[in-house]
Amino acid sequence: MLVLPLVVVFVFSFGERGPAGGYVPAFTFDNFLNLGTRWAAFKNTLVLAPVGTLACLLIAYPLAYFLAIRAGDRWKTLLLILVIVPFWTSILIRSYAWIFLLGGQGLPALLDSLGLGNPRLINTPFAVLVGIVYGYLPLMVFPIYVSLERLDKRLLEASSDLGCPPARTFLNVTLPLSMAGVATGCMLVFILLMGEFLIPAMLGGGKVFFVGNALVDLFLQSRNWAFGSAVAVALVLVMLVTVTAYMRATRRWAGGRDDVSLM
Amino acid sequence: MTDRNDTISREMFIAELMRYRKGSVTRRHFLGVTGLGLATTVLGSAVPGLRGAAWAQADIGDRVVLASWPNYHDPANFEAFQTATGAAVDLSVFGSNEEMLAKLQAGGSGWDVFVPTNYTISTYVAEDLIEALDLSRIPNYDLASFDPRFAEPGTVDGVVYAVSRNWGTTGYAVNTAQTGGKKLTSWKEFWDITRAEFSGRTMVHDYQLTTIGNALKYFGYSFNSIDPKELADAEKLLLEVKPHLFAINSDYQPSMRSGDAWMTMCWTGDGKQLHRDIPEIEYVLGSEGGELWSDFLAIPKGAPHLDAAYALINYLLDPAVNVKEVLFHGYPVADKRVDALLPPEILNDPIMYPAADLLSPLEFGAAVTLTDPGRAELMARFKSA
Amino acid sequence: MRIYALAVYLFLYIPIGIIALFSFNAGKHASQFTGFSLQWYGKALGNPFVTEAFQTSLIVAAVSALLATVFGTMAALALQSVKGRLRVAFDALIYVAVMVPGIVIGIATLIALVTVFDWLNPTLAALWPVADAAPQLSLGYGSLIAAHGLFSMALVIIIVRARIAGMDRSLIEASADLGATPWGTFRQVTLPQIFPGILAGFLLAFTFSFDDFIIAFFVAGSQTTLPIYVFSSIRRGVTPEINAIGSMVLAVSLILLITAQLVLRRDRKA
Repeated sequence: MLVLPLVVVFVFSFGERGPAGGYVPAFTFDNFLNLGTRWAAFKNTLVLAPVGTLACLLIAYPLAYFLAIRAGDRWKTLLLILVIVPFWTSILIRSYAWIFLLGGQGLPALLDSLGLGNPRLINTPFAVLVGIVYGYLPLMVFPIYVSLERLDKRLLEASSDLGCPPARTFLNVTLPLSMAGVATGCMLVFILLMGEFLIPAMLGGGKVFFVGNALVDLFLQSRNWAFGSAVAVALVLVMLVTVTAYMRATRRWAGGRDDVSLM
Repeated sequence: MTDRNDTISREMFIAELMRYRKGSVTRRHFLGVTGLGLATTVLGSAVPGLRGAAWAQADIGDRVVLASWPNYHDPANFEAFQTATGAAVDLSVFGSNEEMLAKLQAGGSGWDVFVPTNYTISTYVAEDLIEALDLSRIPNYDLASFDPRFAEPGTVDGVVYAVSRNWGTTGYAVNTAQTGGKKLTSWKEFWDITRAEFSGRTMVHDYQLTTIGNALKYFGYSFNSIDPKELADAEKLLLEVKPHLFAINSDYQPSMRSGDAWMTMCWTGDGKQLHRDIPEIEYVLGSEGGELWSDFLAIPKGAPHLDAAYALINYLLDPAVNVKEVLFHGYPVADKRVDALLPPEILNDPIMYPAADLLSPLEFGAAVTLTDPGRAELMARFKSA
Repeated sequence: MRIYALAVYLFLYIPIGIIALFSFNAGKHASQFTGFSLQWYGKALGNPFVTEAFQTSLIVAAVSALLATVFGTMAALALQSVKGRLRVAFDALIYVAVMVPGIVIGIATLIALVTVFDWLNPTLAALWPVADAAPQLSLGYGSLIAAHGLFSMALVIIIVRARIAGMDRSLIEASADLGATPWGTFRQVTLPQIFPGILAGFLLAFTFSFDDFIIAFFVAGSQTTLPIYVFSSIRRGVTPEINAIGSMVLAVSLILLITAQLVLRRDRKA
């Protein structure tokens, strides 16, 4: 049952577009040969998804570290809840707020009044990146927080008692022990980003195009179900390859520990 | 037959509506005075026992689902419709006819009324997606008062599938505060300035017909061309322009109003609305030509609230209502009865009623562009580039 | 460190603050604040389409989460007893299923159902005893629940399986040794142990479905879920009504979270 939809998409990807759109059964590889015309969308996704994941990680890690290790017990839960709360408003509404913030009357106007120039932000890859970080930050903070929280604090004390400077304690003790959380968070965010449609649609103005946008276009505008299915199959294959490679790499890096899980 | 409609003014209508809301007049009185109940009177006396008589006053349900275009309806009219009939209007807006067709083809759209453009109707008929209209249930539709040029595409093989709503042109709106006083007049200038002074400030529609059509106009080709060589030229231009665009979006008013965008492909009514509020935004028709279009009201196959669908179409065609729609959205109508109610400054408006020499090179969209895979793929390639 | 955390919280809350601020706007536009008013809250609550979309979202989320949890848990338990090659194959399948993006699930459900309906509807019409009265199958609740359920099931399987893996198996053996029936063992030993995993899976599935836009965008047919309503309102031109809806959803979930927290805290003390 889980793979049934994939089978359907796979079958359709060998079909042809009907005269008024839709799908006509056939057996042809044309759709796959035509994939090159969507190269830009795949390239955008394959660049912005890892960059977005990395940006999320860089912003989330210090916050998770602060919450798990530095924050006082009284505030911890409250602060943690505050990270999740934005997640409870629709991503649509939150992205809409960014349209306003990044639009000409928002941030650029503010920068302008401070004499820092008036850059165009909305409908650029930067705007999409901001939207991505904003949308997925909680998903990254959480697993990292959990792995740091579980970490035995006595190890840190031992390390500093033995005269290890804080930076080295962090690099040699904290960071390696939180790798599982980092790997989980990255994987979660990366997988979701590969299929993203809304954020580029809203903050990219139709100019920053992901594979997800190409798919929506093919099904809900140009009505080419066969080619759309081929693009979907290609997307799943690309994801399988990259995620498998990623898991291999993290497993080797984490020293053969098998604790890289999805959840 | 239309006397009663013609005599009620906007103010009177509102006054009657207020009285009705306060409960000082009955619904029957309200419907009668405003012409909303006209059908009941006419049909009731002319064809006794006709079931059509039932809908105006009988229960048509609590809702009607309308699929239409951005900035195209006066919300006050929908509120009045709800007050009069009890049915609330659920409006969703689309960016292109292709999007509407895709939704209908997938089935189960749930729409009761939709607003197709002239060139799409024959395809809807061929695909069996559109309901033939029972004109006896739309007494406000008076064929004789419509300009046949705009109303005819609603009839396919002698069957009326769609009734005329508005007509208009596709040109572009430009914020003249940014051009340094320079007047733009052609599509050539539109595409050229986009790649120069207006880089990052121009918007085009998320709609193959107009975006490809107006790119074809740059080379002097037909707006409707499906010739592969001509389309290849248009694609080259579009791909070159793409990095200079602000956005690809059929709802351009917010960006034009905020000043983020300086120029956009634009339909008559949007041009009128923008110019009305921000006088430096002007509406330009490309001297090479472009699109002349007409929109229709139609009912998709399988509409879940058929009675309400007919009631809404009839309501929107009521000249007293339609006049208020025009004052709101700024698109001309093909209905003489409505023109008779419009103030002269509207009828002389150069945006709504362009001069003959600007109108004559315009073309109606051709049915083949809707289904041509070459145009659909070109648009998709342009967007994903 | 503190300053950094503060900056991140500002980043997280400025957009939300703006949403909330404009929900109190007296004017019609979402970009110019013209005065304080509560009218948009009244409008949103009085709008039948908003309440109905909310209801649709709740029903779809509850039913799809329930189905995903039941079938996902069963699958996870069944997989426990599968060993060897077959197990590897099943694991690979689940791995693939988790990775399939929501958008592909939406597309797949759309084309699968439309194809089936195209074939089934004429057949139904031909077989139906009364002419022109045959029911027409189309996209709606069924397809929404199916697509959401399918997407969440893979998540539930993974969560529940992690829980099963961490379970103390000797308890099950002990229960069997003491003569309990397999069902009794399941009900009294296995279920209580994996219950937190099941609950977590259900909540995750519910949240996902309630918030999902992209899958619903493809398969909702004539149904309008809350995210779809919000999307079409944004396209229609935003009025502060949308901000009011967003703020209300946020307020309700905040209250729920805080109550849950308080209850948990009291439990812990007791």
